[in-house]
Amino acid sequence: MLSDKAKASIKKLTAKYPKPESALMSALMIAQKENNNYLDRALAAETAKIVGVPEAHAYGVLTYYSMYNIKNIGKYHIQIDTNIPATLAGARKIAEFVSEELGIEAGRTTKDGMFTLNEVECLASCGTCPVIQVNDVYYENMTVEKTKALLTSLKKGVMPKPEVPEYLGGTECNVLLKNRRVKDSTYIEVYKKNGGYKALEKALKMEPQAIAAEVKDSAIRGRGGAGFPAGVKWGFLAKGTGKPVYLICNADEGEPGTFKDRQIMEYDPHLLIEGMVISARALGAKLGFIYIRGEFDWIADILDKAVDEAKADGKMKELDIIVHRGAGAYVCGEETALIESIEGKRGEPRIKPPFPAVSGLYGCPTIVNNVETLASVPFIIEKGAAEFKKYGYENNTGFKLFGISGNVNKPGVYEYPMGVSFKKLLEAAGGPKGKLKAVIVGGLSVPILKAEELEGLNMDYDSCIKHGTGLGSGGIMVINDEFSIPELAYRAIKFYAHESCGRCAPCRYGSDSIKELLKTLLDGEGTKQDIETILHICNNVKGVTVCPTGEAFTVPIKAMVEKFRDEFEALVK
Amino acid sequence: MDKKVSLVIDGKKIETCACNTIVEAAKENGIYIPTLCYHPDLKPSGSCGICVVDIQGHRQPERACTTKVLEGMEITTNSKRLRDTRKLVLEMILADHDTDCPACLANGKCDLQDICDNLSVTTRSIPKKLKKLPIDDSSCAIQRDPNKCIACGRCIEVCSNIQTVNALTEVGRGHKVVISTAFDEGMGNSPCVNCGQCTVFCPTGALTEKSEIDLVWDAILDPTKHVVVQEAPAVRVALAEEFGMEKGLATPGKMYAALRRLGFDKIFDTNFSADLTIMEEGTELLSRATTGGTLPLITSCSPGWIKFAETFFPDLAKHVSTCKSPQQMLGALIKTYYAKESGVDPKNIVSVSIMPCTAKKFEARRPEMNDSGYRDVDYVLTTREFVRMIKEAGIDFKNLPEEKADSLMGDYTGAATIFGATGGVMEAAVRSAFFLLTNENLPSPELKVLRGVTNDIVEATVEHPKLPFPIRVAVANGLGNARKILEKVKAQIAETGKSEYHFIEIMACPGGCVGGGGQPFGCELVDRGIRGQGLYTEDDNRPLRYSHENPMVAKIYKDFLGKPNSELAHKLLHTHYFERSQTDGKVVKETTHKH
Repeated sequence: MLSDKAKASIKKLTAKYPKPESALMSALMIAQKENNNYLDRALAAETAKIVGVPEAHAYGVLTYYSMYNIKNIGKYHIQIDTNIPATLAGARKIAEFVSEELGIEAGRTTKDGMFTLNEVECLASCGTCPVIQVNDVYYENMTVEKTKALLTSLKKGVMPKPEVPEYLGGTECNVLLKNRRVKDSTYIEVYKKNGGYKALEKALKMEPQAIAAEVKDSAIRGRGGAGFPAGVKWGFLAKGTGKPVYLICNADEGEPGTFKDRQIMEYDPHLLIEGMVISARALGAKLGFIYIRGEFDWIADILDKAVDEAKADGKMKELDIIVHRGAGAYVCGEETALIESIEGKRGEPRIKPPFPAVSGLYGCPTIVNNVETLASVPFIIEKGAAEFKKYGYENNTGFKLFGISGNVNKPGVYEYPMGVSFKKLLEAAGGPKGKLKAVIVGGLSVPILKAEELEGLNMDYDSCIKHGTGLGSGGIMVINDEFSIPELAYRAIKFYAHESCGRCAPCRYGSDSIKELLKTLLDGEGTKQDIETILHICNNVKGVTVCPTGEAFTVPIKAMVEKFRDEFEALVK
Repeated sequence: MDKKVSLVIDGKKIETCACNTIVEAAKENGIYIPTLCYHPDLKPSGSCGICVVDIQGHRQPERACTTKVLEGMEITTNSKRLRDTRKLVLEMILADHDTDCPACLANGKCDLQDICDNLSVTTRSIPKKLKKLPIDDSSCAIQRDPNKCIACGRCIEVCSNIQTVNALTEVGRGHKVVISTAFDEGMGNSPCVNCGQCTVFCPTGALTEKSEIDLVWDAILDPTKHVVVQEAPAVRVALAEEFGMEKGLATPGKMYAALRRLGFDKIFDTNFSADLTIMEEGTELLSRATTGGTLPLITSCSPGWIKFAETFFPDLAKHVSTCKSPQQMLGALIKTYYAKESGVDPKNIVSVSIMPCTAKKFEARRPEMNDSGYRDVDYVLTTREFVRMIKEAGIDFKNLPEEKADSLMGDYTGAATIFGATGGVMEAAVRSAFFLLTNENLPSPELKVLRGVTNDIVEATVEHPKLPFPIRVAVANGLGNARKILEKVKAQIAETGKSEYHFIEIMACPGGCVGGGGQPFGCELVDRGIRGQGLYTEDDNRPLRYSHENPMVAKIYKDFLGKPNSELAHKLLHTHYFERSQTDGKVVKETTHKH
């Protein structure tokens, strides 16, 4: 049974959204939190009834997102990120240690009910890996020793306060990371003191079309990964429909190797809010959403607080913002899946067309932009598009955040102009640890580059394409020669198979089939034909999935197999 | 009218409506594009990716089921890449599929089998990885085998969006996605109303009826049992298509002959009790209309609809006719009236019904359906099960000489046979209500305005100088339409205290019983219409077309029941209703009481 307090919070949530169903995910989370962190049928049915959705629908939703539990789980839910950046940083050792220490395999709960252990996908802590999430709390930069201390404390029933990891990143542009090292940077007073909300002041005196024109002129390309020009996207917004327009900030940050947006939200939330209020004015949106991945619970709290501050300070007269928490689903980074998720559904991508700009959230014209894109808008408006274009070069304008993780000495987020040489970035990040073998430069879903392919590579859209890869989200993973590519490929496909929404057959079966084939190869039971079959799947799944996320796995896997074929063939006995 | 566009598919220039998708345009022009998850009556999900085609100028293949045609498009439906991709997807599906086809109820009627055959998927490059999941047999009507599910989503689409029942959902994600019910507690513990539309739309054998064939064979072979059978109207127009005859042809004579060869001891016809239903329900309607009773009256013959009403509209229970369905009426009479007339001890009678319907299995098992002192109906077979029995027994259905049903409760009028088509109950009721009010028959028995398969609610007003008042009626087929009309009725009552309608017919399945959940697999809306037309043709050819003219109905009132709505009629032929939980479908409380 839900407590009266929970019922009241759920009812309040349903009233907050244009449609009550949108409150389903948060409502289920409220119900879960007050029931020892899991949902049973009665609780789910009760919650569904208050929100006004069929129970089966709620069940479909709560089995879709990885953060809901339908089985009784331990008092401490230990989740160890073992995705590529974490693996490169030594997460495997930690996972094995925890498993041994607790005497359970991943996916199990200790007999005394104290601990449940799970290996999970990228927690967007790539620069501060390995990371262990205990219930809602992140413990970053973990070592075996620190993990031992953590477990000792938990066994005594004490959740230690996590240490704030040392910030190793840097900025050459001083825009998006300007306030990164500033004390109390999340407070509006501090933000304003450092020049914040000047752009909004200027924007409020501008006509909406003029704002849109400036953004278009800046030629800023979407920073989420696809690189579509944001101003052009805004131009697709359906006009005169009589329906409300929505602006959604995509803060799902789920692409392995990507941990840039959290720097903005965690340390400069008002920069994002200012960008959203300005953009909403250009688009005519009165309501905006920040769709933040559910694991970033504390960052969502920071955003909620910042929104309240901005409201109290009169900054949000034209726009209200709802911070919408996800619940663990990579695919929700795809904009139509994200929209479905805000509508309180399973985050499954829609068939396009129609595109969101024509028919998005609740069937209304909707613009979805990445955090970094929106956080760049205040600069573009305050200083002008021309000033923005001084960074980078034609078709690759502006400043950009690059997250560097894996085998480097100073992993972190670095802000550089577009077109910065890869060499310079690698040096900024303290150079490689060990012998450089390969790099994935744009988040996991781009082709891997061998060390010798990095010559002359600049970090921008065109240069990356010229080098046979993609800039993607700018999440750079550096790999040294201690790691076997087939093992990384297996870890990568496990991620894609786990995160496939399951709706379309090529993605659902393709990712899982490759996972099985790679496992067979790694177990020493594979054949050369299995390698061919993997490539056959990659070649044929590409282009036939409902969404780009579905076919994403074909790109890195194919490149890994083709470029490091000797390592795969060596597995065949 | 949408405008026409011209485009080229595989070098053939075609013209088609701009409203069409590529699949629709191709089909219209006789061009085959392989599909699997696509169904013409459902919103396309695009989930399987089999129907991909190349469009000139597009970087990658597009789904033909979701892509609209455009002027000047140049489409290629067949290339090495497309063939490779389709075969790969199918191989991957098969690797995760229980391919014990001969043991599958959908064998020979399976879309997955068909397409693998069409595309000659003969290789198996993907390692088999099916992990057997338990079969859901929690429902007495519908069985779900997740090992045969290809997660195409058709069942969810029909359950949620056409029927608005919402019993099913996708569960989990990735390759682990299965279609299931809330907390995987099974169809029998869900709001499922047993309409069985999911079984009709399922492309494989993942959703089927729960078979009772073995139980019926056992009864037939048991010398101590006297097995009596009845057949619903819609069954007789669905057999022909299963035995290589003209689709929609009514074959009652061959049906009776087959039943006799299967070994049933007595063959009655549910159409007889359909005529009886008209007498009981018509009398109820007139009594309500003339004494200020609750109106509108809503029909009660569709058990999927009844459970739907009990689950989602319990506050409207008083509007639902107290009449049992024809199946249950006849069941109660077989073990009382027939037992008395024939001298067979009712405890030795096994009462079997053949229905186009899966919900009838649930209806027969309702605890209250025992007014004869026994289970009124013991076993319910769907049309599909009946067909399987005919095949199992090696009966050459097509060449069977026609026979007759047994007398006493085997005769029927044209009004009864149209019960199987949407609007038919209403038409039959109006024919007799008119007579009961005016003591004469309508100038023509046909009310064509009520006929035909549509996705909309049909409304009509029957006016005649002799009628004391115009009769305002509505017909809804499919539960989504039922929901719409009931919301309207509720709103009218809330606003003005009364609704504009006197009488509403509701059938759970699109097209009515001809489109029932127990009818042959793989049926489209157009097939439902063809079967319905078969019933109207039969009506046309019947010597008697008014229920009140059925001599056997007159006889049963004279010899046994007294008059319509008599005390005995109430005991045997009427029922009462419950409120059910929207979570697990279980009874919460009674909403109406039996007289």
